[in-house]
Amino acid sequence: MSEIVAGVDIGSTTAKCVVLGEDARVLGKSLNAVGVDIVRDAERALDAALAEAQIPRSEVAFITGTGYGRYKVYFGQLVVTEISCHARGASFLFPGTRLVVDIGGQDTKAIRINDAGEVVDFAMNDKCAAGTGRFLDVCANALGYEVGQIGPLSLQARHAVKVTSTCTVFAESEVTSYVSRGKDPKDILAGLHASIVNRTLSLMQRVGVEPEVTFTGGVSQNAGMVHALQHRLGRPVNVSPLSQYLGALGAALHGRERVRGGAG
Amino acid sequence: MITAGVDLGAGAIKGVLLEDGRRILAAASAPARGNPVGVAHQLLEELGEAANIGPGDVEYLCSTGFGRYALPERHLQISDFTSSARGALFLFPRTRLVVDVGTQASRTMSTSETGKVLKFKMNEKCAAGAGRFVERCSKYLQVPLEEIGPKALAAEHPKLISSVCAVLAETEIINNVAEGVPLPDILMGVFLSLSQRAYSLMRYVGIQPEITLVGGLVRNVGMVKALRETVGLPVNVAPEAFYAAAIGSAVLGHSRLVKLRESSVATAGT
Repeated sequence: MSEIVAGVDIGSTTAKCVVLGEDARVLGKSLNAVGVDIVRDAERALDAALAEAQIPRSEVAFITGTGYGRYKVYFGQLVVTEISCHARGASFLFPGTRLVVDIGGQDTKAIRINDAGEVVDFAMNDKCAAGTGRFLDVCANALGYEVGQIGPLSLQARHAVKVTSTCTVFAESEVTSYVSRGKDPKDILAGLHASIVNRTLSLMQRVGVEPEVTFTGGVSQNAGMVHALQHRLGRPVNVSPLSQYLGALGAALHGRERVRGGAG
Repeated sequence: MITAGVDLGAGAIKGVLLEDGRRILAAASAPARGNPVGVAHQLLEELGEAANIGPGDVEYLCSTGFGRYALPERHLQISDFTSSARGALFLFPRTRLVVDVGTQASRTMSTSETGKVLKFKMNEKCAAGAGRFVERCSKYLQVPLEEIGPKALAAEHPKLISSVCAVLAETEIINNVAEGVPLPDILMGVFLSLSQRAYSLMRYVGIQPEITLVGGLVRNVGMVKALRETVGLPVNVAPEAFYAAAIGSAVLGHSRLVKLRESSVATAGT
């Protein structure tokens, strides 16, 4: 039996898929926006990753679904929470990881893990957009930028402003009022990034801040956030170009375990 | 004896001129844009013209609301809780529970028969229970703010919102629109969600009649209907309740002025 496995992570904002080969190497991956038809988005994510891997679907031994929309991955054989998947994915890429910080489109999680990549404790905010990718989206919009631009811009700040609002809606008003007072957008952006890091840190403190931290989720691709988090912690955090795919990667790894377990 | 009350709120500045602590001579409001103090000054001028009095005729000025410390000529500033409660009692003397839903905060307070605030609870941390949520809905649903309430009244099967965050609710609402949920049902869902949040604050303080709704959302018929349904008890509303905090501060200004005069008369007499 083939040991090629796939993990599909349906987040609130994007669908990700990772296809793993026999040697646990990433053969293909994909990322696309999530719309109203989640079932179709899941299919598309899988097809795109398989196309990149140049592997027909029939050769995939096992598919695991995860993320907010995991129950819509109808073609999968297993469903795992994104918390275990991020833990597993982070531990796979950075084996020394003991704390995973996952900031996605609509939620933020701090996950403490052991040396086997298993979840020991976690804390999350999924009730409100404060401190999530959505917060950055709204604020980027208020300043007239694309969300991809704001991280690098925030790094050019000279005197970061202080953003006091927790609520995304109120922060948006605060941003507007800073703009009308003539503040440099870069300084406002740096203030916004710092405010998210403060919220993230309080989640991290709830589970315990461990020495080796791995940053995952869509927001980990934002250089401004990585910088702000490292600055606040006073040490580097693990980030990889694959960070946004760690949920999908973790899902694939869970599936791989099943396949191998079944084989022997 | 004329006193003025100015409520520098997050969404609007409201002003009231009161005669002898009893009669409202004029009330007006303006959006809180740009320089709130400038807006307040303009408003006071308009109030004076409407009541046909000169600037020197206002003997005491009290400010309240989020921006109360910004008004330099104030004689006194009063907390929003105290002024709203006093204003509610002025309009409905049997009020014992006040619900104030404004643009940026919602609060509830229980009050004694003299307008003393006994217990209060507020949400100012998040937009979910506040008028800003309705403003945002108006924007992305492209329904003018003043039409949102009347349109919501046509709801047959209100679509409840599961999200407690105004931003996350937005996605939910847009999905509902995509699924073809009728607009009135969506709008009433928004008001029910606001009402439920207000209700949980009210329960914390203690439900007791009479209940009076004040603040920006009192002018919204959708909100009034939703709150009455959620609470399951009568809720007092009046057009003047929009100005409750300004009224309350003018009333308190009047009592203060009366006391000041009494004590100066007493001092002069001894």
